[in-house]
Amino acid sequence: MTSLRRFCMTATGIAALSATLPASATTLETAFGSVEVDDDPTRVVTLYTGALDTALTAGMTPLGAVATRGGDGVPSYLNDAAGDISIVGTPRETNIEAVAALKPDLILASPQLPEAQYQLLSRIAPTVVPDVTPYQMASWEQEARVYGKALGRLDAVNEAIGTVDAQAQEIREDVAGSSTASLIRWMPQGAIVMAPQIFSNTLLTRSGFTVDDGDTVKQGRPHSDPLSLENLSRIDNDWLFLATLNAEGDEAYQAAKQSPAFERLDVVQQDHVITVDGQLWTSASGPMAAQAILDDIDTAMREMK
Amino acid sequence: MSNTLSTASRPTQPGMTSCSRTQTPSQARTGKLFLTLPLGQRLPLRFVVDKRNLIVNLSLMGLLLLLTGGSLAIGSAATLSASATFEALLGQGSALDNFVVRELRLPRVVAGIVTGSAFALAGCLMQTVARNRLATPGIVGLDNGATAFAVASVIGTGISLAPPAMALTGAAVAAALTFGLTGSIGVRGYRFLVAGIGVGAVFGAITQLMLTRVSIDAANAAYPWTVGSLNARPAHAVSILSLALLPALLAAIRLTRSLTVMRLSDAVATSLGVSTSRCRLMALSVAVILTGLAVAVAGPVGMVALIGPEFARQISARNTVPVVGATLAGAIVMLAADLLGRVILAPIEVPVGIITALTGSPLLLWILLNPHTRTTP
Amino acid sequence: MTSFMNRHADSSVMGSLRACLRAATSSSPVATWGLLMILLAVIALLSLLFGAGDVGPGRAWQALSDFDAAAMHDSEAHFVIGELRLPRLGIGLVVGIALGIAGALLQAVTRNPLAEPGLLGVSAGSAFAVTLAILWGADAATLRISVAQLGALGGCLCVLAAARLQGIGNDPVRLILAGAILSGLLHSLSSLILLFDQYTADEIRFWVVGSLAGRDAADLMPLAPSLALAALLTVILARPLAALALGEHVAIGLGHHPRMVRLLVIVVVALLVGGATAIAGPVAFVGLVVPFAARALAGPDIRRTLWFCLPLGPIVVVSADIVSRLVVPPSELPLGVITALIGAPVLIAVVRRRRLPML
Repeated sequence: MTSLRRFCMTATGIAALSATLPASATTLETAFGSVEVDDDPTRVVTLYTGALDTALTAGMTPLGAVATRGGDGVPSYLNDAAGDISIVGTPRETNIEAVAALKPDLILASPQLPEAQYQLLSRIAPTVVPDVTPYQMASWEQEARVYGKALGRLDAVNEAIGTVDAQAQEIREDVAGSSTASLIRWMPQGAIVMAPQIFSNTLLTRSGFTVDDGDTVKQGRPHSDPLSLENLSRIDNDWLFLATLNAEGDEAYQAAKQSPAFERLDVVQQDHVITVDGQLWTSASGPMAAQAILDDIDTAMREMK
Repeated sequence: MSNTLSTASRPTQPGMTSCSRTQTPSQARTGKLFLTLPLGQRLPLRFVVDKRNLIVNLSLMGLLLLLTGGSLAIGSAATLSASATFEALLGQGSALDNFVVRELRLPRVVAGIVTGSAFALAGCLMQTVARNRLATPGIVGLDNGATAFAVASVIGTGISLAPPAMALTGAAVAAALTFGLTGSIGVRGYRFLVAGIGVGAVFGAITQLMLTRVSIDAANAAYPWTVGSLNARPAHAVSILSLALLPALLAAIRLTRSLTVMRLSDAVATSLGVSTSRCRLMALSVAVILTGLAVAVAGPVGMVALIGPEFARQISARNTVPVVGATLAGAIVMLAADLLGRVILAPIEVPVGIITALTGSPLLLWILLNPHTRTTP
Repeated sequence: MTSFMNRHADSSVMGSLRACLRAATSSSPVATWGLLMILLAVIALLSLLFGAGDVGPGRAWQALSDFDAAAMHDSEAHFVIGELRLPRLGIGLVVGIALGIAGALLQAVTRNPLAEPGLLGVSAGSAFAVTLAILWGADAATLRISVAQLGALGGCLCVLAAARLQGIGNDPVRLILAGAILSGLLHSLSSLILLFDQYTADEIRFWVVGSLAGRDAADLMPLAPSLALAALLTVILARPLAALALGEHVAIGLGHHPRMVRLLVIVVVALLVGGATAIAGPVAFVGLVVPFAARALAGPDIRRTLWFCLPLGPIVVVSADIVSRLVVPPSELPLGVITALIGAPVLIAVVRRRRLPML
């Protein structure tokens, strides 16, 4: 009953705001019920990195996006593709007035969008909040497909996902073979082990690695509590991917080696540690991010050989 | 003060059917107005109103109206002229203007007014009861408790209640714990405060722990509940708070006389016929309930409970408890801070909790470190 | 909790334990102090025996007993105890003593039992400095301890400067007010930064909860001079501070200089808490709980309180550290969370006692 009411409210809002009703429309299932979107939206606002990623992949440059870096920047790996895009707030505080001022006909939001914000945004334009179970093997794909369908460019998104798959397959055959690996963020008190089901780890799995978290991450969580320095052997696999959010990878690696517990790990002794960009590997999502991560893996593996 | 008491013991005059203002010449010099509203033959409601406070409150109301208009007119989407704002308010402007003013700014302004009033009123009551200018209901762990529960709801720990309901629950739990743990000792003295600090610290720690365990996206969604924000506030919570505000204000006004006398000391108050424990209990209950409801709307904006009453005390008559003034001042502070937060770094919106803390702290510092001010209100 | 125990005082083990404790504490403070030191030794031993890893108490005990033996049978256990648990214990001792004494000093000088070293702006200043550092490109892994200490001392300087308008020598209460307000200010500045930069927020949320792990003696080195100075000043200031408790004029009559004493005490507190925060991150609750418990055992004399803070501080911190290792194996919970979860009930239990020595 409530979703029906919401649907009615949304429809009323759309009717109130737009001059003419769309000639044809698609219906999507979202976290807040069914939403009707135009077949061919031209003015899109994205409030989530994954949505921005998918939109750019599909060849659609949004009018507005949220800034994650320094208040005026989208994530660095998207910077070139995004170009000059209006900022409508941060992931923590969306500026709904700025969104309204852009007069969008589609809003793509994060799966975590609070309901109160959804109520307001859906009166501006159809708002799509994907209803996917997080931390599954294909979560990011489902999410991307929902955005793609909303943009009316599902084919382009499917194509991009296909390319990602193919590239992963290539890496699996050429380079990786089958090895075990872990993805961690390092801090002096211990390692934060990323769950095998997060975005970047699913890509590692597709590339032929077996991602091992040493049983440290509880079901449904994105990462573990800081793994005790006494138990670092749990992440002592064939390969270790070290994600750093800010510093140069090498700098962080050297700092981590100061810790005797880290230094004595086999994987460190054999120098099978690959430093990666944490902004991309731990807090991004979407086809372009997938591409960039696979490029990272490919480069790293070839260098190692 | 003695004039007030002598008024209370004057016999009612039968047959009065209109609101009357009676003053003897000596009373006129004290700057107080005596209003009698007959609610019936036997129960005239007497108000003693300080002239200066009346003027101050009226000015504050004017300032509030001005700020309301300003908040409706100014924003990231468009800055409208006064007439355009009015038209948009009535639904006769352009579609965008109508939407922005009626659907975005108006609810925000309403939320700002009621939460600001609630925080400041609660703060004023608490400070008078505790005889300490720095007392806020937050010190009994209300803010931290509400934040912890709200964050738990937002990051989805399987709880189905909405964040505002959870925030209210959290505030209630924190208050219950604090009062329960010091029940036998009473609410005076620093033991009560210590229990409050302890409860607050536990909830604060739990919040921090939760925030380390979730993805950054979930932590982002929980951010407004940790700093206090008026962005996209749930309408139900605002309605409930609005309903509670008027009775609370009336109750506080009713308590004003007792509170004014209680500023001295318990012994003096008791000898003047004021039931100190009952008064204290009522004031505290009102303060806690208001803060709980306000935090359920906006999150922990505790600074308003300090700035609003302080501002009101500075401009109101001395030796009074400016209950209405504090309420208005709190609404003004909240609206002004929200407006500033919306324009200062546009298009990024700075939450109102951060603005009040950043601007209020130097102000508070300046006031409190002035050699001539006291630590008691 | 206390009243519950009172009512059931006749139930065997707890009752006799309580009776013993009461007898010990009332008879001789020295005996109590001795008991506390023994407790500390036991807890220190426990911290070497227990951990989140596979080296359980049995193996650890074995390794400890043949530590001197040339043949290292269990190199894993030796590594864990020698390289991981021992430095952690050492740091826990230092942090515990520093925070406990700082708390006691601050409460004595401000004559306010609610004074907490965090109120001097050190925790907030430290967190702000670390936030800035991370914003400007540092990583949690590469962060230098000096950044945190600079921030801590900077925060304290701000508080002192703000309070100088009144002269902290005259009215310490205003110092607390200034400190509380400035901590709030710094805290919101940090929140503002976190609003803009998602990645800084992602890093800082793990730092602000405090931890003892991963630091070693080398990290203590840069802090050693300031901590040593603070210790020396504490010893010198103990007697004047005790005289100050008798009243301003009495103290002057005894030949002390109250304003100078207060100023120096604040400096000592800043050095101690700055050092502790620099190495372990914000562990804010300890400085409030330990002096409370110490006063409950020692009475109002500041010198006795300081002596009691010496074992009590480390007892609280090291116990919290042990608990943090045991709750969520193989990971660990942050220290700041555990100290709050343990400290708050202890604080409330202490405060509910009928007879509580005033400052």
